[in-house]
Amino acid sequence: MGRGTLEKLKAILQGELSATENVQQALNRIKELDKKIKAFIELNPNALAEAEAIDRKLKRGERVGKLAGLTIGIKSNINVKGLRATCASRTLENYVSPYDAEVIRRVREAGGIIVGMNNMDEFACGSSGETSAFGPTENPAVLGRIPGGSSSGSAAAIAAGMCDLCLGTDTGGAIRNPASHCGVVGIRPTQGLVPAHGLIELAVSFDQIGPLAPDVYGAALMLETIAGHNPNECTSLDSPSANYSDKLGIGIENIRVGTSPKFSELADSAVMEVIDGAVEKLHDLGAEVVEVELPNLEKSLSAYYVIMSAEFFSATRKFDGRKYGRRIEEVCGDEVLRRIKCGDYISRKDQHDRYYKRALQVRTLMRREFGEALNKVDVIVGPTVPKLPHKLGTKLSPAEMYAYDYLTSPISLAGICAGVIKAGEASGIPVGLQVQGKVLGEGTVLRVMRALEAAK
Amino acid sequence: MSNFGHQTFHRAVEISSGVWMAEREKEVGRSAEEIVESFARAAEELPKLKETYYSQETYNVSRPDGEPSREEERTEFRKRFISIMPGADEQGNLRVEVAKWVEGR
Repeated sequence: MGRGTLEKLKAILQGELSATENVQQALNRIKELDKKIKAFIELNPNALAEAEAIDRKLKRGERVGKLAGLTIGIKSNINVKGLRATCASRTLENYVSPYDAEVIRRVREAGGIIVGMNNMDEFACGSSGETSAFGPTENPAVLGRIPGGSSSGSAAAIAAGMCDLCLGTDTGGAIRNPASHCGVVGIRPTQGLVPAHGLIELAVSFDQIGPLAPDVYGAALMLETIAGHNPNECTSLDSPSANYSDKLGIGIENIRVGTSPKFSELADSAVMEVIDGAVEKLHDLGAEVVEVELPNLEKSLSAYYVIMSAEFFSATRKFDGRKYGRRIEEVCGDEVLRRIKCGDYISRKDQHDRYYKRALQVRTLMRREFGEALNKVDVIVGPTVPKLPHKLGTKLSPAEMYAYDYLTSPISLAGICAGVIKAGEASGIPVGLQVQGKVLGEGTVLRVMRALEAAK
Repeated sequence: MSNFGHQTFHRAVEISSGVWMAEREKEVGRSAEEIVESFARAAEELPKLKETYYSQETYNVSRPDGEPSREEERTEFRKRFISIMPGADEQGNLRVEVAKWVEGR
């Protein structure tokens, strides 16, 4: 994977590596590998010109932003002016974004160079990276296996060293699941911390834009670039801007880390063996490990799918092919259609109380249970995904596929933050530790992740 | 192929793909209902609580007053939007097909 994000950034700022050289290296690597990996749907034709502009600024001694010259991949459901935001669907395959999302404005302002749009599960409906209309993405960490999804291309691009950082989106686990399968770092921020303006939604009450990176420093740097209040959004948190990257090395002595017996009930033993090893390491690093209760953890998956489908059905009504794109039901894949049909069924007036209202009550329960558990500890750690990634092309029933989200969807329901870092390998396959934090607890989550990373 | 033959062929393709679409929608719709039912069963024994529609309780309901975007920005946005519209009239206005549900009214 080459040098770490901090070392590369220093090299660019000190003139040892130009932004142009960095972009050229990324484009060469994409050209070399992407026919097989399929991490990108489209490349930015202006990337080199944008890098040259950063180099000119650096030469003149002008102030540059904190991402100066770093190469960035963007999930194809975020609007980047002039590039296609396809959502990996035939529905929007010709949709060229007429504007920049708020996070893109912030990335550009910080000097990040967008190299292209990443592949993903169609409309973020998938946990494997196989439902893209542009073909499935490979897992660079373990060829022949799924990379996870739906931010499949973003995680794969990082794992293959095709770019420095990526922006993905997480609804029920779509950053954390592929981060775990590909052995990279991923963060789902607290609901409302990162502006959602310009994101083509899957489920508006769950969607969060967040970073994927090769290391914790990279994830922290990207998160502090994109996080912060946007007064034009009704659900943006009015939180002060935070600096995460400066406080990573504090260590975790006296941090209280919670684990739950529920995790080993829901996850395979091969996964749990690696996770238990990571928890032991955190204990050795000075953290106090205590058990917490999450009695209804497994119930969140059903509530998540009910709410998500209802919101997705509503969100897709605009894809009628009249103003742009094509009518979604005519060209989408089976999984997208299934979720539209689920949402249609749930949203009927006579079904509202039985399904939707009930699911919203389970969301209250999850918030309460996580709130109580996190009152006793600083973070809760456990597996990200209950099983190892399957081989590409294996036929799974919808229920088997949805089961990948068992351990990530509760965090989405609770609206808290979580990060994923590689804990180790099971039979040569990466296994990610999920570090779950309080509302706006990203700083502590990142510190715990960095402590584990540094101990490797 | 004669013009008539060409049109007939296209109509046949349209009909068969329409039938396939309807069958696919029906089949996927059936599996969707089964999934929703199984989800509902999973939550049956849980306590009845107040519903949470969004995980944060504070909303920005009013936006700050600000300057309108510049004329050239609006013109550029319009130009970009026109370029992705499926159809436009001579003045550049969006032209859309009449929706199927209003046909025959």
